[in-house]
Amino acid sequence: MKSKSLTYNSKSQWVLAILLVLISLVFITPVIYAIVTSFKLEKDIIGSSPTFFPRNPSFENYRYIFERRGVYLLYYYNSTVITIAGVLITTVLSTMCGYAFARLPFKGRNVIMGFILFIVTFPLAVLLIPIYIMEYEVGLLNTNLGLILPNVTTVLPFSIFVMRGIFRSIPKELEESAEIDGASVFATWWKIMMPIGLNGISIVIIFCFYNIWGEYILARTLATQTPAMPLTVGLTLLRGEGWSYGILGAVIFLALLPPVIIFMIFQKQLIEGITKGAIKG
Amino acid sequence: MYSASVAGRILNEWLIPHKRSVILKRTQNLDHRRKVKASMGVIFTFPAFLFIFTFMIYPLFTSFYYSFTDYNYVYDKKPVFAGLKNYISAFSDKDFIVTMKNTAVFASSYFVLVMLLGLIIALMLFSFKKGTGFFRTCIFMPIVVPISLAAILFNWVFAENFGLLNFIIGDVLNLQQFTRGWLTSRSTAMGTIVLVTIWSTVGFQTILFLAGLQSISTDILEAAKIDGANALQTITRVILPNLRETYVITGIWAILTGLKVFVQPSVMTGGSPGNATRVMYMHIYDNAFEYFEMGYATALGFILSIIILIFSLINLRINVKEDD
Repeated sequence: MKSKSLTYNSKSQWVLAILLVLISLVFITPVIYAIVTSFKLEKDIIGSSPTFFPRNPSFENYRYIFERRGVYLLYYYNSTVITIAGVLITTVLSTMCGYAFARLPFKGRNVIMGFILFIVTFPLAVLLIPIYIMEYEVGLLNTNLGLILPNVTTVLPFSIFVMRGIFRSIPKELEESAEIDGASVFATWWKIMMPIGLNGISIVIIFCFYNIWGEYILARTLATQTPAMPLTVGLTLLRGEGWSYGILGAVIFLALLPPVIIFMIFQKQLIEGITKGAIKG
Repeated sequence: MYSASVAGRILNEWLIPHKRSVILKRTQNLDHRRKVKASMGVIFTFPAFLFIFTFMIYPLFTSFYYSFTDYNYVYDKKPVFAGLKNYISAFSDKDFIVTMKNTAVFASSYFVLVMLLGLIIALMLFSFKKGTGFFRTCIFMPIVVPISLAAILFNWVFAENFGLLNFIIGDVLNLQQFTRGWLTSRSTAMGTIVLVTIWSTVGFQTILFLAGLQSISTDILEAAKIDGANALQTITRVILPNLRETYVITGIWAILTGLKVFVQPSVMTGGSPGNATRVMYMHIYDNAFEYFEMGYATALGFILSIIILIFSLINLRINVKEDD
């Protein structure tokens, strides 16, 4: 990287460092603030001289959520079920479809792909109206399945393009030698291509995870009753309930925990995924 | 299994060329293999296609049809064909015109800011010699924060009483005269929503710009340095023109995010104060799911789609060179 940097001057490096620290602080402070507030007591939050860090750290807010607010745990449960099922289904579908688009030429394949890309630019609101009517008629509104299916569809195009790119970059010789050994198309995909494409699969899993976990518009429209809501929609209702900021901080922290943990562990794959999907897709 | 064993035989026979019958057989077998692959291709694509058909293609066409009908989901049993009525009345709908203006304000200021900041932050990370792991983690982390939760979080940061920003301005910097209800005052509400959107999306743009910067060959940068170009000259004359491909993608993302904005104003202000932060998407959404005017709402949705398409094409036109 050294040879690629624009400036070697140590003074400008210092200026850069200070600016980067400031920018990083701006980005991280709101989240840190929510976390520290979740350990504060109500009287310290709205007291006469508020402080950034808690004066009397306590788990009071968390205790309240787990003991008194079952509905919050229900939101958490719904988000978990929808996300895990959505990620699993998308992974299977996108690895199969991506492989077909990369290595199994059939008529009309490019037309289908172009059309999918075209649809992605449409605002979800346009598709949402028929989806709502459809789910109303078959009784899928306010069910987890009713959210899993359209969620899978919204993350599918990106996932397919990532997998297609990954499979394309695997040398053809590997596949051909498997075929000579008598492997069927399915076996070639499952035993040769999938293990080599593991890196791409992890990209798809992370992308789908944080997108489905954070999805809002589908959830708000298709899950209108409290027991069916995932976190993203359920928590927006808290505003009206006049909860204390401490409890709000605690629920936000708990809701952010899964995607942030995943981000910390798989940051490299996330960055690679954004670059691959957006540029090479 | 059958097809693969055939392939094995083909390869054995490949070792004995010049035999016409063998060559003939080989082409037949290859032909067969291609057919098997094509049909497997259809089978492998089918499950994903089923999802995309049911939740994208079918809704898109149905929606297009609804946009030419009178269809209130509560009162009407069936959509009744109404020609272009919905499209025409959209342009005399004063509320819609207001939301169009608001969306234009949001999208244009968001576009300029996110492109500039994304590029600047990427350039800074790119130029910094020491490890940038910590900075990257902080700047990219908001990407995984669900946008609706970011909205709740910032509602609180920008709150008039006990909000973090007013706390910093008033109590830390002692500038009480500058504290205000950032989201409840007409002059700052939309700007605040733009900033929140920047917070949650600029990391994404930065990643794309960084990838673009890293793909610029070291030779060009070295050459600029040898020619005695300073940092600013290198950026404006060498780096910026070489990022053309990146502008195509970052531009499209910025256009899509800007014009499709919905969650942030919807959660943070609900369109208030007055209708200062009411955007097109919100008007579409409310027509559909508050008043159940499905015909009218879909027409509005297609108007928004056309606007998105036009700007995406303009972006392509500007940044994709004629020769490629």
